[in-house]
Amino acid sequence: MYDTTSNMSKEHMEFLKKVKRKEIAIRTTQVIILIAFFALWEIAGRLKLIDPFLFSQPSRMLKTIINLSKDGSLFTHIWVTLSETLIGFALGTIIGIAIAIMLWWSSFASKVAEPYLIVLNSLPKIALGPIFIVWMGNGEAPIITMGLAISLIVTIISLETGFMQVDEDKIKLLKTFGATKYQILTKCILPASIPTIMSAIKINMGLSWVGVITGEFLVSKAGLGYLIVYGGQIFKLDIVMSSVLILSVLAALMYVLLVYIEKKIIKWQ
Amino acid sequence: MDKVMVELKNVSLNYHTVNGETEAIKNVSFNVHEGEFVGVIGPSGCGKSTLLSIIAGLLKPSGGSVKVNGEVGYMLQRDHLFEWRNIMQNVLLGLEIQNAVNDDSIRHVEGLLDRYGLAEFKYHYPNQISGGMRQRAALIRTLALNPDIMLLDEAFSALDYQTRLAISDEVWSILKNVKKTAIIVTHDISEAIAMCDRIVVLSNRPAVVKSIHEIHLTCDTPSPIGCRKAPEFREYFNEIWKELDVHV
Repeated sequence: MYDTTSNMSKEHMEFLKKVKRKEIAIRTTQVIILIAFFALWEIAGRLKLIDPFLFSQPSRMLKTIINLSKDGSLFTHIWVTLSETLIGFALGTIIGIAIAIMLWWSSFASKVAEPYLIVLNSLPKIALGPIFIVWMGNGEAPIITMGLAISLIVTIISLETGFMQVDEDKIKLLKTFGATKYQILTKCILPASIPTIMSAIKINMGLSWVGVITGEFLVSKAGLGYLIVYGGQIFKLDIVMSSVLILSVLAALMYVLLVYIEKKIIKWQ
Repeated sequence: MDKVMVELKNVSLNYHTVNGETEAIKNVSFNVHEGEFVGVIGPSGCGKSTLLSIIAGLLKPSGGSVKVNGEVGYMLQRDHLFEWRNIMQNVLLGLEIQNAVNDDSIRHVEGLLDRYGLAEFKYHYPNQISGGMRQRAALIRTLALNPDIMLLDEAFSALDYQTRLAISDEVWSILKNVKKTAIIVTHDISEAIAMCDRIVVLSNRPAVVKSIHEIHLTCDTPSPIGCRKAPEFREYFNEIWKELDVHV
C-alpha cells in the first residue's frame, strides 16, 4: 500500500532497522539455545556428570542414527509412522468435516448427537486400543484407527462450533438472494470457516501423531513408536532418544508445511 | 396515483419461543408507491427490521396480507462483503446465487462499478478498501439484480457519522436516479426526514402504525444533506420526536 523503497524518511528507516535487528536477535537466540542444549548434553556426558547409559548423548545418537540408516531400517520405521499418521490425519480430517457438515445441515441430528459427542470426547481414546487390536489384528489398521479415534471427535466438535458461529446476517443476505441451503453451505459456511478448518487441521495433525505413537506402543512391528518401546525394553536409550529426536523434527516439519499451505489458501488476510 | 409497489394490509407477526408468544407487529397497514421513498421509524426493538423481513419474503406474517409488486433488493446493517471474495466476486454474489452470471449481467455490473468509482478496486479484497467504498460495493451487489424495490435496514448505522451522511446522500441520489422505490428502516429521525417522502412511525412492541407523515421540504438542492437546511426540517423532527415518546 505504501511505497517502502523510495522517499523513506530517516526516522522510518531507523524504525525498520530496529524491527529487523530484533528479528535477528530472536532467531540467533533460538539457534544458540538449541546448540547450547546439545553441546551441554554432550559435554555433561563426556565429563560423566550424567550417565550416557541412561541419558544418551548427542554423539551416540548420531552414531545410532547412522547405524540404523545403513541397513535402511530407520527409513522403514520413519515411513511406517509417517504413513500411518498421514492416513489417520487425512481420514480424521475428511470424515470430521463430512460429519460436521451433516450436523450443521440437520439441527435434529446435531441435537441427537450432542450427548454422544460429549461422552466420546471425554473418553480417553487409548482405552479403545485393546478393542481395536482384537478387532483388526496386529497390523497397521488398529494404529491408524487409533490416530483417527483421537482426532475425529475434536475435529467434529470444533468444526461444528465454527460453522454455527458464521455471522447470521451473512446467511440472511444469501437468503435475500433466494439461496438454497446447499448454496449457503458452499458460498458462505465453508469459505467463512476456512480459518477454523485450518486450525482444526493443525490440531488434528498433532493429535494424529499422538494416536499413532500410542497405537505403536500397544501393537507394532515397525515404526518410531515401536523403536522407542523396543529401545526402552532393551535399555538402549540411544535408540529411544534418537527416535524421539527424529519424531520431533518430523512433527515440526509437518506443522511448518501446514502453516505454509494455510498462508497460500487464506490470501485475503 | 402511481402504481402501488408494496401493499401491507393488517399485517401482524407473533414470535414463538418455548417461554411464550410475543406479539411483534400488530395490524400494520400502509402502501408504498412507485418511486417513493418511505421511511419506517420507531423505538429500537419495535419490529422495524421484522417488517422488512416480511416484505422481503424471509418471514411469513401471522396474519394480514402482503403484496409486493416486483423484485426486492435488501441492504443490511453492515455491508457484509465476504472477506474471502474480491470486490468483483462480491458484487456478483447475488447473480451467482440466481445462476444469472452471463456476459450481459457482467457488463451491467462493470458499468455500475465504473459509475460509482470502484472500477479500479475490482480485484481488491474488502479489507483493502474504505468503509464508504465497501458500502457502495454492497449497494452495487444489490443493484446488480435490478430490484424494483430497495429495502434498507439501518443500512448506514455501522458507519461513522460523517461517512454516514455522505453515503446516505450518495445512495439516495443513486436510487432516485435509477427511479427505484425504497423502504428505509432507521432509528435516526433526521436521516428519515432528509431521505424520505413519507415516514411511517411505529409504536413500541407490539408495533402498530402510530402516524404517517408526508414530508415536503423546501430546498434548493434536492439531496438529503441539502434538505437538512429546509425550514420545515425542525418541525418534522419535533413532531416525530414527540410521537416516538422516548423515555430513558
